[in-house]
Amino acid sequence: MNAVIRRIARESRDFTALVIQAYVLLFRLRMRRAVVVRQAFELGNRSVVFIATTMSFIGLIMVLQSGYQAGRLIGDYSLLGPGYIQLLVREFAPTIGAMMLATRIGAGIAAELGSMTVTEQIDALRLCGAEPVEELVVPRLAACLVMVPALIILAGLFAEIAGMFAARLVFNVPFATFFELRLLTSGDVIVGAVKAMLFGAVIPLVSAFAGLSATRGSEGVGQATTRAVIHTSISIIFLDFAVNVLLYPVYAR
Amino acid sequence: MIEFRGLSKRFGDRPPVLEDIDLQIPTGSVQFVIGPSGAGKSVLMKHVVGLVRADSGRVLVDGEDVTDYGEKALFKVREKVGFVFQQATLLDGLDVLDNVALAIAKRFHVKRKVARERAMTELERMHLQPFAHRFPADLGAGVKKRAAIARAIALDPRYLVYDEPTTGLDPIAARRVDRLIGELKGRGVTQIVVSHDLASILGVADRIAMLHKARVHIEGTPDALRASADPVIRQFLSGSPVGPM
Repeated sequence: MNAVIRRIARESRDFTALVIQAYVLLFRLRMRRAVVVRQAFELGNRSVVFIATTMSFIGLIMVLQSGYQAGRLIGDYSLLGPGYIQLLVREFAPTIGAMMLATRIGAGIAAELGSMTVTEQIDALRLCGAEPVEELVVPRLAACLVMVPALIILAGLFAEIAGMFAARLVFNVPFATFFELRLLTSGDVIVGAVKAMLFGAVIPLVSAFAGLSATRGSEGVGQATTRAVIHTSISIIFLDFAVNVLLYPVYAR
Repeated sequence: MIEFRGLSKRFGDRPPVLEDIDLQIPTGSVQFVIGPSGAGKSVLMKHVVGLVRADSGRVLVDGEDVTDYGEKALFKVREKVGFVFQQATLLDGLDVLDNVALAIAKRFHVKRKVARERAMTELERMHLQPFAHRFPADLGAGVKKRAAIARAIALDPRYLVYDEPTTGLDPIAARRVDRLIGELKGRGVTQIVVSHDLASILGVADRIAMLHKARVHIEGTPDALRASADPVIRQFLSGSPVGPM
């Protein structure tokens, strides 16, 4: 038990150090622009098809389920679209989108850095006088801070479009009725944006930490990748809860 | 001079990898460290640059005790000591030229263009210019190893540690590495070479230390090693599968 507590304390300390170091270097602009752009392409552009596909199906499912309930309980579909958009902007697009991205981006970062760690590439980098956090973590953090919110907007867009078609085809709700923004407030948009930006920071940092902590060959890389996805998902859920509580006055009416 | 004083190291509950190691590597010399696989040679070398921390004992570089140095303090030590890993360890995401150029840019704080020019010179020295724009995944082990050596030498170290530099190389490339070790010795670079390559060991070394059962079993010149009647040394030199090892 003591060993577990000691390990958690050590990992928390090391993770905090990584976060501080990464942000200090980020604000000092200690990164090469070309590397950030390449990372943005690798992490962002290459996730578009994945996020579009998954979020479209999630949008379809959510509208189908909500529509059945609305039809069964009140028999009126006019609030289906406005309610769905509100929840999508404030909750589902950032949270579910980020969880999806954690599996795509987080696993990728952890596997790449984990492989570099167990093959001693990180040690070699250090011995060349380079700082692994500056060379490897900061470009990924910068790329994710831009690309994750962008992908989350895209995720919301695809979920909305898919939902709109589901509502039209299954429940005969006109596009104009579904795409109504009357329930959406600026508070919802602020909360959604805050979550998107937070998740954009969490995914690369948690995943990079898992990768840099990898040990024991390919088995260790696999464990690091699994750890990255689990820890990132838990962090996203926890932060989602925290933002919902802390920003309650912003979106509650 | 690099010096190990009473160095011991074990990992977890397993038997010690190193036990009470005393070894001095005089400035300008070529010291080979030999021994069977798993004898702790690589672990010993990693103590010099702080990649492995001693359980007890001291590591001194130029008389400076670096045993307990943190990452920042180790930066100065790592400027002096180059290290060629057993598995080459080129960065997968960079081509050979940029692997060398990154190290030069970081160490000497020069612009990337200048670093690339210098890197190309180092690659030419190692006959690697045809591979300059290839990525590590597309290269054989021998080319990667030579590129890693080029990267280490490009940093102009005063000490250079090689972990099995000729393993995986063809005989011509291996002898080129031997010749390079001789050239660097002429420039006053102190070199420590972990090796199993008898041609290198007996042809290039000034002194040889053999690790066996976590301790320095014998330390001396190549001639002393050749003349030794010690059964462990005899078996190592003959490569016989039967013997005390």
